[in-house]
Amino acid sequence: MSEPMAAVAGRPNEAASQAPLISMRDIRKSYGSVHALRGASLDVLPGEVVALVGDNGAGKSTLVKVMAGVIGFDSGDYLLEGQPAKIRTPADATALGIQTVYQDLSLCNNLDAVQNLFLGRELTGPRWFGRRVRRAECEVRAREVLARMRLGSLSLTRPVGAMSGGQRQNIAIARSILWTPKVVIFDEPTAALSHSAAAQVAALIRSLADDGLGVVVVSHDIHHFVVNSTDRIEVMRLGGNVASFRSKDVTGEQVVNAMVGGNEGANLAV
Amino acid sequence: MPWWVATRERTLLSESNSHPTGAVAAADAEVELVPATHPSEKRTFGELLTSDLRALPVIIGLVALWIFFILQNDVFLTPRNLSNLLIQSTVVGVMALGLMFVLLVKEIDLSVAAINGVTAVLMAKLIVEFGASPWVAIPLAIVVGALIGCVSARWVTFVGVPSFVVTLGLGLGLNGLQLILLPTTARYGLMGTSVETIALAKIDGLAAWGVLAIGVGLYGLLVLSSIVRRRRAGLSVSMVKGLALPLVGVTLFGAVVVAILNAHQGIPVVTLVFSALLGLGGYVLNETQFGLHLYAVGNNDEAARRAGIKVSRVKMAAFAIAGGISAIAGVIGASRSLGVGVFSGGGVGGGTLLLECIAAAVIGGVSLFGGRGSIHAPLLGSLVIGSVQNGLNLMGVHDEIRLIVTGLLLVLAVSIDKLIEKFTGQQSF
Ligand SMILES: Nc1ncnc2c1ncn2[C@@H]1O[C@H](COP(=O)(O)OP(=O)(O)OP(=O)(O)O)[C@@H](O)[C@H]1O
Ligand SMILES: [Mg+2]
Repeated sequence: MSEPMAAVAGRPNEAASQAPLISMRDIRKSYGSVHALRGASLDVLPGEVVALVGDNGAGKSTLVKVMAGVIGFDSGDYLLEGQPAKIRTPADATALGIQTVYQDLSLCNNLDAVQNLFLGRELTGPRWFGRRVRRAECEVRAREVLARMRLGSLSLTRPVGAMSGGQRQNIAIARSILWTPKVVIFDEPTAALSHSAAAQVAALIRSLADDGLGVVVVSHDIHHFVVNSTDRIEVMRLGGNVASFRSKDVTGEQVVNAMVGGNEGANLAV
Repeated sequence: MPWWVATRERTLLSESNSHPTGAVAAADAEVELVPATHPSEKRTFGELLTSDLRALPVIIGLVALWIFFILQNDVFLTPRNLSNLLIQSTVVGVMALGLMFVLLVKEIDLSVAAINGVTAVLMAKLIVEFGASPWVAIPLAIVVGALIGCVSARWVTFVGVPSFVVTLGLGLGLNGLQLILLPTTARYGLMGTSVETIALAKIDGLAAWGVLAIGVGLYGLLVLSSIVRRRRAGLSVSMVKGLALPLVGVTLFGAVVVAILNAHQGIPVVTLVFSALLGLGGYVLNETQFGLHLYAVGNNDEAARRAGIKVSRVKMAAFAIAGGISAIAGVIGASRSLGVGVFSGGGVGGGTLLLECIAAAVIGGVSLFGGRGSIHAPLLGSLVIGSVQNGLNLMGVHDEIRLIVTGLLLVLAVSIDKLIEKFTGQQSF
């Protein structure tokens, strides 16, 4: 762990020694003749932020979608806390405590923040009353989560389509932590954000890990976010893993080298 | 310290109840987090036009139409004519209400008119040929309508053929079936079957006020329960804006309508049916989980799926509702024309009935691109179309002009919507 991070995080780096929350082994996935994943592996440990990096088309988003249950995989093992995970739909993954903040955010632009936060898991009244949404209760919980994210004054009633990119990103993140997950997966969370907004997201990601969650972050922001705000870096190329680093031990250049196929990076692999 | 090593908020995920709202522990903050910029909850007029006041342009248009017709003909504003206008608007309004559910999930059902026709003929056949009671035949027709909707939905979601194609083909097929079901005389008369009385029946006097009281009472309970919930949850509530204003508004509006209708025989039963469907539809769309999911699926079906919503099930329900409601409209239509025939359901191809119910929904503000439209749309849209028909009729203008005017109004309504979006820079949802 890099110096400032260890100091601020204020917790011993025992994460690596713990049993993985998620363990993906030799995952393969093809789209017709396109081999998006050719034996990709990934461990997600509690209290650790693992960065998933690689060139465009390396298979990062595909691996994330497999973890989230959005798509199935052809072969390989997907273990959740040591047991084969029975994840066929995104709802299965959420129910098992795996939350995802997608690259496209997956928000409904015509709904407001509260409705988006609870989408698919609304607090409702009885069936014979048509499952009336308990708006007030949803709103109270939404306010709590947003307040903890320091987003207390975010509008709860305007459609999220009318909000800025940063605000929408924050709502997507708030949704992912609403149900106290075990693992949160971020696909390019800082790509569309200003520096200050990206800093907020980085802080938030760290705080999740500090609370003992496993965090996976796909990012292209190697030199800033990846080497400074994560614990471990998994490099993917052409659908497989090519290198793995402790974030505190590497420079951005070494990571980039591994991504594009240079060899010196791989020597530092853990 | 580089910018990306920002404040840690360790407590983010700790138990929620241990954190009163707003309390954030960030003791070792090194960089003060920049609070996101928040536009205040107060909205500009432009913003309101694209959200809460979206109905305003249509209402203004409707009022303008009425003023025009009142100036042209003194008969227009008579209770008798207004009562007629309401009855005339009912079939299109009811159909538009059903169709709206399908439009909300970003699909279209071009077979609604054909469902209307075929189920009406089926009902008539059961009553006339098989001596079935209307109490059996009508519910059966509605169930068949809903089942037809399920079939299209299944085809659309499972096979993946666009609903435009599926329902276009299905509609033609149902037109054929309608002709097959008809006897050689090509007509079933419904006189003396008591179905024909539906369109004539009216509720007048005290009973009409009683019906209004029940409606307002139910609405009041709904609004009140929301307010009580918010109070209990410690959220801010505005008694005036949240309770008094809507309740007084609805009561006044209802009282004016009932007073006018009572001046001419009372509330038509078909108007009552339409109102009840509007009330129920409003509850489903605005209050229930299913209603919310309709909007979600219509805006972003992949996001809905990822959120665990069973998209194809929601779509099937929408198509089933459209089918069932089309059958209800079919019964009303059959009752108005005292029988069924080739002309039922707008005739082969759906005729003007199909076009008018799509137009009504769109004029009222339902988007053909999914996820947008409120319950007032079928009411306002069908009133616009009904008023044009009624008013021009009174002026002695021919049908061809009516079609041209209706067509222009449709394009105008959508254009106004687009222009508002353009000039306010707000996308309406
Ligand atoms: N739905 C799909 N159908 C066909 N091929 C796909 C599909 N999704 C992804 N692929 C292919 O799979 C490969 C991996 O794509 P993926 O989206 O996982 O890359 P990525 O690492 O996330 O890239 P980026 O950094 O650009 O987001 C690419 O070659 C892509 O073209
Ligand atoms: Mg990607």
